[in-house]
Amino acid sequence: MASGGGGGSGGAGKMADKEKKKKESILDLSKYIDKTIRVKFQGGREASGVLKGFDPLLNLVLDGTIEYMRDPDDQYKLTEDTRQLGLVVCRGTSVVLICPQDGMEAIPNPFIQQQDG
Amino acid sequence: LSAELVDKCIGSRIHIVMKSDKEIVGTLLGFDDFVNMVLEDVTEFEITPEGRRITKLDQILLNGNNITMLVPGGEGPEV
Repeated sequence: MASGGGGGSGGAGKMADKEKKKKESILDLSKYIDKTIRVKFQGGREASGVLKGFDPLLNLVLDGTIEYMRDPDDQYKLTEDTRQLGLVVCRGTSVVLICPQDGMEAIPNPFIQQQDG
Repeated sequence: LSAELVDKCIGSRIHIVMKSDKEIVGTLLGFDDFVNMVLEDVTEFEITPEGRRITKLDQILLNGNNITMLVPGGEGPEV
């Protein structure tokens, strides 16, 4: 199947050299260094911390990490089940989401459907 | 950078948090590229029933597939 152009319109990245297969990250984490970020893992864990380092495999080094775990009644209430002290290494293989701590807010559930029994 | 940090930890206490509600605390003897880990004097914690499991010795090989976090010098949920 012929797909037009190297994926997507506009944008700066030119993927001309597909043979070289460089390990380029689609997310530039260096802009998050020394900033507080929120990370979500497979298995429902969440953590916040200051990003101190990372590698192309998405392993992260976080400082002052706060880890939240989901209890049955937690359901995203973000109880502070803190366990970390200082420095942790987060495995890139289980990271599913990374976002800055500042760039998020809680909103009312937009998916609520009223069910008439 | 992360591999360096784990490497600095060799010989000291480390606390491993799995994807599931399980945590392992022990002395780090070594690890490989996939972050499979060899630990000694290991205590295994199960988070939900909130009880310590088994204290194992004689070295274990922990499969890196399920590791979520590594905490150098961590003590784990010691209740």
